[in-house]
Amino acid sequence: MAREILRRLRSWEGLLLVVLLVILAYNITRVPNFLTIGNQVNLFQLGIEKAIVVLIMTFVIISGEIDLSVASMMGLSAAVAAAVFEAGAPMPVAILVALGVGAGFGLLNGYFVAVVGLSSLAVTLAGYVGFRGLARLLVQDRSVGGFPEWFTNLGQRGLVGPLTLSILIFAVLAVIASVVLHRSGLGRLTYVIGNSAQVARYSGVSVARTKMIIFTMSGLISALAGVLMAARLGAVRASTAEGFELDIITVVLLGGVSIFGGVGSMIGVLLSTYLVLNLRNGLIIAGITGNTQTGIIGLLLILSVLVPNLAGRVQDRLRRRQVDPSMRAPPSGAAEPTRSQAAPG
Amino acid sequence: MGERGIGCVLVPTVLSWRPSEINTTDRVPTAGSWLPGFGTGDANGMIQPATERRLDDEVVATGEEFPVLKMEHVSKQFGATLALDDVSLALRRGEIHALLGENGAGKSTLIKIMTGIQTQDSGEIRIDGKPVRVTSSQDAQRLGVAAIYQEPMIFPDLSVAENIFIGHRNRGKLVDRRGMEREAAEVLARLDVTLDVGEPARGLTLAEQQTVEIAKAISLDVRVLIMDEPTASLSAHEVQQLFRIVHTLRQQGVAILFISHRMEEVFEIADRVTILRDGRWISTTPRAELTPGSAIRQMVGREVQELFRRSRREPGAVLLAVRGLCREGVFQDVSFDLRAGEVLGFAGLVGAGRTDMALALFGISPADAGEIELEGSRVTITNPRDAMALGIAYSTEDRRQLGLVMPLSIAANISLPSLPRFLSPSGMVRRAEERDAAEAFRERLSIRAPSVETPTSSLSGGNQQKVVISKWLETNPKVLILDEPTRGIDVGAKVEVHQLIDDLAARGMAIILISSDLPEVLAMSDRVLVMREGRQMAIFDHHEATQERVLSAAMGQFGDILPEGDGIDRIAAAEAITAIDRLVAGGRLVDGERQ
Repeated sequence: MAREILRRLRSWEGLLLVVLLVILAYNITRVPNFLTIGNQVNLFQLGIEKAIVVLIMTFVIISGEIDLSVASMMGLSAAVAAAVFEAGAPMPVAILVALGVGAGFGLLNGYFVAVVGLSSLAVTLAGYVGFRGLARLLVQDRSVGGFPEWFTNLGQRGLVGPLTLSILIFAVLAVIASVVLHRSGLGRLTYVIGNSAQVARYSGVSVARTKMIIFTMSGLISALAGVLMAARLGAVRASTAEGFELDIITVVLLGGVSIFGGVGSMIGVLLSTYLVLNLRNGLIIAGITGNTQTGIIGLLLILSVLVPNLAGRVQDRLRRRQVDPSMRAPPSGAAEPTRSQAAPG
Repeated sequence: MGERGIGCVLVPTVLSWRPSEINTTDRVPTAGSWLPGFGTGDANGMIQPATERRLDDEVVATGEEFPVLKMEHVSKQFGATLALDDVSLALRRGEIHALLGENGAGKSTLIKIMTGIQTQDSGEIRIDGKPVRVTSSQDAQRLGVAAIYQEPMIFPDLSVAENIFIGHRNRGKLVDRRGMEREAAEVLARLDVTLDVGEPARGLTLAEQQTVEIAKAISLDVRVLIMDEPTASLSAHEVQQLFRIVHTLRQQGVAILFISHRMEEVFEIADRVTILRDGRWISTTPRAELTPGSAIRQMVGREVQELFRRSRREPGAVLLAVRGLCREGVFQDVSFDLRAGEVLGFAGLVGAGRTDMALALFGISPADAGEIELEGSRVTITNPRDAMALGIAYSTEDRRQLGLVMPLSIAANISLPSLPRFLSPSGMVRRAEERDAAEAFRERLSIRAPSVETPTSSLSGGNQQKVVISKWLETNPKVLILDEPTRGIDVGAKVEVHQLIDDLAARGMAIILISSDLPEVLAMSDRVLVMREGRQMAIFDHHEATQERVLSAAMGQFGDILPEGDGIDRIAAAEAITAIDRLVAGGRLVDGERQ
C-alpha cells in the first residue's frame, strides 16, 4: 500500500509538473519576456509571504495537525511591529518584538495541542479569531506607516540584483525546509507522528515535544512573513493578510500533502507554490478577476483530492487484474498437502 | 513477596473481562451442550475426548438439500495478502451452518462479502442457483441476507417496534404507531418471544437487543441469517434462549451461518461445520462426523509437537525484581524476579492483566504502587523513555496499530526507538548507518523483503513482527517484553521467532513472554507466571508447568480440586480437559481476533 502511495505521490508530482508547464506555456505565449528575471521576481513578490508560510504549513499538516491562525499571526506581527515602532522603539527592536510574539503564541498553540491535547482545529481557530482581534486593538482602523526607508526598501527593492530580501529568505527557507523534512530527525518524526502518534508513543518518541517545535516554528515564521509584508506594503492595517490561511493550506494540499497527515513532499509543495503563482498570473493576463480566480483555485483543490483517489482506484483495479491469476495458482496448490495432513485421522 | 497488597484495590467491574470467561462455571455442563467424556491427551498433547453425542438434534438437520446461498470459488485480496483463496460454501434451507477458523482465517471477509460490505475479486455468489451481485448492504437486504453481530446495533431512544422496522424504506403507513407495534409483536411472536414493543430499546438486556436484531432481519424476509459471535457477551441462560430462537428460525427454513469461538456451542447447535484456515477452505463436515480435537487440528493446522523446544540453561543473576506492583482496577500485587538469560512466560486468559502489567513496566500506563528494582537499584518508570533508558523494551501485541509506522521503510521503523543515536550533530539522520543497522537485522532475523527501504505495510505478518522485534533489539535492551510475538503469523515465522527467543536468552537477555498460546508459553518459558483477573495466581517452574496446572490457575475454578502432587483425580482431569479445549478454541482465538 505504501509503495502505491509513493507511486501515486510520484505521479502526483509529475502531474503537477505537467499542469505547471501548460500554464507556463500559456503565460510565455501571452506575455513577452515572461521568463525574464524581472518578471519572475514580480511574479513571486505577489505572493511571497504566503509562499514562506506554506513551507512551515507543510510540516504542520504532515504531522497530522492544522494551523488556521497563520494569517492572523501575520496580521498581528505586522501590527505589533507597527505599534512598537510607533511607540518610539527603533525598527529592529520592533521587528524582534514581533517575531517574539509570533514564537510565543506559536508555543502557546503547541502547548494546547500537544500537552493539553486539544484539537489543533479548535485551538488555532481560537488563534485565528484572537490574534486578529489583538491586531485590531493595536492599530484600530488606521493604516500605520512611516517606517524607516531601509525597512521599506528591504521589502520592495532588490537586495542581490533584482532579488528582494523576501525572495532570498524564501529560497533559503525552502532549502532548509526540504532538508529538514526529508533528511533530519525532526522531519522523520513529523512523518511518524502524522502517520501514527500512538506508534511514536510506544516507540518512546516525545510526540508533544515535536509538535511544540512545529507549532512554535509556525508562529515564528508567520510572524516573519507578517513583518516582511509590512515592509513590502509600507503600511500596516488590522486586516493585513486576512484570508491568507486558506490560500496557504490550499497550496500545501495541492502539493500532494494529505490532510490526514503522514504523506507529502517538499518538492510537490514547491511545485504547487510555483504553479499557483503562475496560474494567478495567467488568469490575470486572461482578464479573469479575483473571485473567479479563487473559484478556479478551489476547483483545483477539489481535483487534487479527487484525482489521487480515482487514480488509486484505477490502479487497484489494474493491479488486481494483473496479480490475480498468478497469485492464485501457488497457494491453492500448496493447500493440498496441508489439507490432507490436517484431515482427521 | 513480603510486601503483598501495598495499598491498592482491585475493582473487578473495571476489568475488561469477556463474560464468556466469567461465566465458565455455569456454562460448561448446560443441558444439550457437548458433554465431554473422560479423555486423555494423545501423543501430541492434543486432547481427544471420548464423545457421546445426542442424536435427536441431527434428525432435524435435513431440510432441503437445495442451497439457498452458494459461494463458489470466491477470492479476495487485500494488498499482498490473500484474505480468501478460492473458498466455496453452500448454505442449505433450514440448516445451522457453523463457520470455524482461527483469527485471520477469512471468516470476517467471507461475511463482509456475503453482506455486500466488500466485493469479491473473483468467484460467484448464487442465490437459489441464480448468480447475483452483492455490492452493497442494500443488495444483501434485497436478496434476503442479513447479519447480526456480537454488539447489537440498536437505537436506544427508539422503541422496540421502531428498531425492528428501521430498515424498512418507503413504508409511510408505518408512521401509524399502533399498526407498527402490532406488526412488531407479530414478528416477535414468530420467534416465540414477548417484548413490550412500545418501550424504548434502552432498557433491554443485550440478549433482548439481539432478539430485536433478529426480529429486524425476519421482518425483512431474511432467508440467510449470519450470526457473528452472537453469544460472546451473553450469559449461559441467554445463550440457551438465543439457541431456542435459532432453532425456531431453522424450522422456518432460514439458513443460518453461525460463528462462534466456543467449541461446545458449535457442537451443540450446528448441523454442519465449515473450517477455514489462512483464507482457504479446509473442510465442510456434518457435525456428527467431527470431533473437537480434529476441528482444532484443522483450524490450527499444526501439531503441538511442531513447536520449537528451548535449550535449557542455568539463568544468571536477577536483573529485574518486581514487588507488589499494582495499578488500581487493572492488576494487583504482582511480584516476580527475572534473571538474565531467563524466559518468564506470562499465561492467563484475555483480560487477565498481563499486557497491563507489561505496559506498567514500560511506562505507558505506570503502576501506582509497588516497587521495581533493576540490577539491584530501585527505579521509577513513568514513561516509555524512562523504561528505555533502563534497558526495558516492550514489543507490542498490536503491531499494526502500535508497532509499526506502516508506510515507512523497514529501516526507518527499526531506527525509530533509537533515532537519537542515528542523528548527526546537526540533527540529520545518518542514512547509511540506519541502512546498515537494518540490513544486519534483515540478515539475522531473515526478514523477507526486497530491501530495507521496503515499506513495512507490504510485508507479511511474520516479517512485520520481525521488524517490530528488530526495532527493540536495536535499542540493546536488557529486558525484552514480547507481547504475543507469534499471534497471527505463519508457522514458519513462528518457529523463527521461537528460535530467536532462545538465542536471545542464550546471550543473557531477560525475556518476558506474554502469550495466549498455551503450548507456546509452556515450551518457551523457564518459568510461567499465571495471572487471573488482574492477580498473580502462581509461578511454575518449567518442569512443573503442565497445561492442567497453568489452566487451573488461569481459570481459577479448579484450583481447589487439584491436588498438590502429580496425581490429578479423574473429575478434575475431565474438567481440565474441557477447559483446555475451551482455551485452545475460545480463549486463544478470541484473543487473536483483536488484530
